[in-house]
Amino acid sequence: MSDDLNIKKTSSIKTKSSSVSGGGTDIDYVRPAELPEQDLYHGHSFITKWIFCQDAKVIGIQYTLTAVFTGVVGLILSWMMRMQLGFPELFPFLTAESYYQMVTMHGMIMVVYLLTALFLGGFGNYLIPLMVGARDMVFPYVNMISFWMFFVAVVVLMASFFVPGGPTGSGWTLYPPQAILEGTPGSGYGILLMLISLSLFVIGFTMGGLNYVITILQARTRGMTLMRMPLTIWGIFTATVLALLAFPALLVSSIMMTLDKVLGTSFFMPTIIKAGEMLSYDGGSPILFQHLFWFFGHPEVYIVALPAFGIVSDLLSVHARKNIFGYRMMVWAIVGIGALSFFVWAHHMYVSGMNPWFGFFFASTTLIIAVPTALKVYNWILTLWRGNIRLTTVMLFCLGFIVTFVNGGITGIFLGNVIVDVPLSDTYFVIAHFHMVMGIAPLMVIFGAIYHWFPLITGRFLDETLGKWHFWVTFLGAYSIYFPMHYLGFIGVPRRYFEMYDSPYMTSAVGMNEFISVAAFIVGAAQFIFFYNLVKSIRLGKPAGKNPWKANSLEWLTPQVPPEHGNWGEKLPVVHRWAYDFNVPGAKKDYITQTTPPSEVIEAEVEKT
Amino acid sequence: MWTGLVFLAVIIGSIAFHVWTPWWWTDIASNWGAMDDTIILTFWIGGGVFILVCLFMVYCIFKFNYKEGRKVEYKPEDKKLEVRLTWATALGVAALLAPGLLVWNQYIKVPENSIHVEVMAWQWGWKYRLPGEDGVLGTSSNKKINDDNPFGINEDDPNGKDDILIDSEELHIANNRPVKILLRSIDVLHNFYVPQFRAKMDAVPGMITYYWFEPNKIGEYEVLCAEYCGVGHYAMRGLVVVDNQEDYNKWLAKHETFSSFIAKRKKEGLINEKVVKINNILNTKKSIKSEKNVR
Amino acid sequence: MSDPTLDKLPGGFKGMSEDIGSDQTTFKGVNWGKAMMWIFLLSDTFVFSCFLVAYMKVRASVTEPWPYPSEVFGLEVFGVPVPLLLIAIMTFVLITSSGTMALAVKYGYEKNRKMCGLFVLLTAIGGLTFVGMQAFEWSKLIFHDGVRPWGNPFGAEQFGAFFFMITGFHGTHVSIGVIFLFIFARKVYRGDFDTGRRGYFTTMKSDYVAIEILGLYWHFVDLVWVFIFAFFYLW
Repeated sequence: MSDDLNIKKTSSIKTKSSSVSGGGTDIDYVRPAELPEQDLYHGHSFITKWIFCQDAKVIGIQYTLTAVFTGVVGLILSWMMRMQLGFPELFPFLTAESYYQMVTMHGMIMVVYLLTALFLGGFGNYLIPLMVGARDMVFPYVNMISFWMFFVAVVVLMASFFVPGGPTGSGWTLYPPQAILEGTPGSGYGILLMLISLSLFVIGFTMGGLNYVITILQARTRGMTLMRMPLTIWGIFTATVLALLAFPALLVSSIMMTLDKVLGTSFFMPTIIKAGEMLSYDGGSPILFQHLFWFFGHPEVYIVALPAFGIVSDLLSVHARKNIFGYRMMVWAIVGIGALSFFVWAHHMYVSGMNPWFGFFFASTTLIIAVPTALKVYNWILTLWRGNIRLTTVMLFCLGFIVTFVNGGITGIFLGNVIVDVPLSDTYFVIAHFHMVMGIAPLMVIFGAIYHWFPLITGRFLDETLGKWHFWVTFLGAYSIYFPMHYLGFIGVPRRYFEMYDSPYMTSAVGMNEFISVAAFIVGAAQFIFFYNLVKSIRLGKPAGKNPWKANSLEWLTPQVPPEHGNWGEKLPVVHRWAYDFNVPGAKKDYITQTTPPSEVIEAEVEKT
Repeated sequence: MWTGLVFLAVIIGSIAFHVWTPWWWTDIASNWGAMDDTIILTFWIGGGVFILVCLFMVYCIFKFNYKEGRKVEYKPEDKKLEVRLTWATALGVAALLAPGLLVWNQYIKVPENSIHVEVMAWQWGWKYRLPGEDGVLGTSSNKKINDDNPFGINEDDPNGKDDILIDSEELHIANNRPVKILLRSIDVLHNFYVPQFRAKMDAVPGMITYYWFEPNKIGEYEVLCAEYCGVGHYAMRGLVVVDNQEDYNKWLAKHETFSSFIAKRKKEGLINEKVVKINNILNTKKSIKSEKNVR
Repeated sequence: MSDPTLDKLPGGFKGMSEDIGSDQTTFKGVNWGKAMMWIFLLSDTFVFSCFLVAYMKVRASVTEPWPYPSEVFGLEVFGVPVPLLLIAIMTFVLITSSGTMALAVKYGYEKNRKMCGLFVLLTAIGGLTFVGMQAFEWSKLIFHDGVRPWGNPFGAEQFGAFFFMITGFHGTHVSIGVIFLFIFARKVYRGDFDTGRRGYFTTMKSDYVAIEILGLYWHFVDLVWVFIFAFFYLW
């Protein structure tokens, strides 16, 4: 009886359907299976088990490792950029050309090849089948191809470091006309390889993304209603839908720019005079590219942010031993933010020369999106309220996320408000804002998530002491990089300046730039503590056993740890409740797993709202 | 314990940094004080939210640190609280948006009496064109640009004849007169940005963009390119000098008009070959078209 | 309505939201592959929309005159210029192939191996004809009229660029469809869908639902053509 009430709150669907479709008085009743058992291909050799593998968990790890590799490249690039900015002329090998190439590759790698691939390809692949109670993704073969497409995309991207002219230096936004003209480094092979790599990424991602969406929609286990799914799944699901609808714009703009470059078409290229000669281009529209790019680019921000929102909700709940506050509101906020994110793209273009009347519309939609986002923040901190907070490394990263995300969110309000954006756009304020909100904040979640799920993946804990060092250095270091950087933007220092000190009013920024650079070196170095921790703990970490964090969600309830191919052994799990029944009054333990039937916790007073 | 203290220190440190920062915006030299005001307003509201949220978090860290057997509240939802928070947030957002949009409305509506100044950006530098006595700039097109017509002014447009051409990085403007900056680019995207004036806009090849401001402080101001435009981006600087009317007129008188420029070129006998050369380039481009039209 | 439980089910919007939110599947009774194809087509719609919106934007903003389509795409039959003749035939062929595809799906579900195979094959041939005519049109524009992606004798140079890019992208879709139609025709004739033979790559069992999924793709490609036809040839 008690559970029925609980379900009424989390989802009224189950209550009704069980009473309607013949459950009778059995409180443990769950609708019978609709689908036959999934047909899985089990690998037999090393190659089919670990390389061309169709197990989503292995594919997730492959995605993660590849993404982290590109991330390390991006990190090293950022070091070199900071060397130049903090200590110009100290490193003669850093020329303006190479600086701009680093800026571009750093941006593209971090946004697309690290964060997107890691959240959706990595965590998505590993967690979706486990958390919804499926044996695998619905099309494991397509899933495998998806990873290898991504891998090829990374190879093509990295190859651009070695071609004549080097990688493209057009800024990660690749704005034409400069992206494909002389005067921008890597405007020959570099930009071509970048465009090809992006197209491959989109194709590969589409294959994976279709899998994630259909697995979540059509392959959940018995009793797993939509409103019982962990927020991680909601976040990844919404982000994947966004990606499937936003990446087409990137694909189209890549194709069109490739044609402009290779065939000399004029999609984005107006009449241009270079060195006194008129080029053969005529009549194209550079602003069109910006619209296409940001139609992709803004949802892309949420493609990174929404999985982070989802994951951090779950981590907070588990480690604060309390149900997530306002679950339904959280779900609707994720979905609402996702939908709204398609109507705000031109806030990146307030000073691009587009019709100024757009400013009114896009400023309004942008600030409206702040409302559901703020609600999520309130719900996170209200989850801590009257909880029982374990200050594990995971929890520390979540707290770090809240601070950096709120900070970056607030500065987002500055930039979204069209008139405030005018003085601040294209300055270091923007750099500081987006690094805080979609660099550091999601990274905090990624680290937290790795510390959280590492015991599931390997069966061993990561070292907590090293973890705490890692957290404090990363959090304090990153905060002291980006918080002061906003003030560089107030001074008016424009972004993408290779060298900036000869302006009279900017000389005061020298000291700050040196400080930021030193902080960046330290934060970067701290990541190697983390890598050491990973390598060490795989073999020597403390054995974790089953469900070490005492969590409720399905991924911890597999018969084997780490879970084997097929995840669930003989029988699929049956779900009776949402994933957040922590510290239910009257229950014996401080958590009730999703598979616990109501009859086992009769005495628990599961709340009704 | 010390976890909460460190987070508290981060918040207090942020506030302290903001209050005592030596890095702040440049003294404003235009009419856009309202932009600074909206930023300050956003700081109060946004900063307030940041501080409240973080302090609440720190309080929770102190108060609800793990203790075996602590009684934990089990309350999945609180409709009332959630609705209140939604309204409060919506109100805050509206309070930021409304003044912002009002100022934006001023920003895009140029006063009638403003002086038009054309800024022509190229990789990597600036050129300027001012209307002559008629106060109107002649129409122009990048297609017409050549050595004899560096701004691509339409020769058939009488308004263009007396336009004043300034082939230099330095632009003078008169104090306390609204200026409408009309932006052109001959190659890639640029952005004409003077931090002290606050305003900015991209220059886009193939179209003319604009913004306006009214300088109110005599002085010299550095122009920065604020839209990435290739490897010379960081070096693409210019200079705006705000003069009083008298100095401005003197400066203006020193520069030649389009018609005097052409006359000079003709006298020097430079004009003919170049015209032929440019026409050739144009013709090769159009050759397929004309061929077909004849058929 | 004899089932008493049905009467107790909530109707209207509430009922719909409960169905969608229920456990296991959101779209009841929809095959995984079919659901996946629908979502893919949604994504692909965005691709084509981006292409067409870009085309409309540029066409609206270019200063050079846009070529007059009924002249450019006209054919001379016995000395009489007929506007849009080839396109009309192409469109007719493609739409007819959608009809044969629908029949193939019908026979597939009836497990009528021979008729299903025949109609899949007919669809493939229809598609091939379309691609062939498109190749003819392209070569006429390129070799006879001198239209290039970077310029053309008729007017704005974006005309050729958008024409080749969008019809090329659509043609690629048709060609991929044709390849799959031929493969599936062979599979139908071999009886894969009756025996449930496992796929060579995917090792998954074959089922006649695959014909319907392929059909969805084919109808989509057809529908896209209608839009391209309207925007390119009639505007």
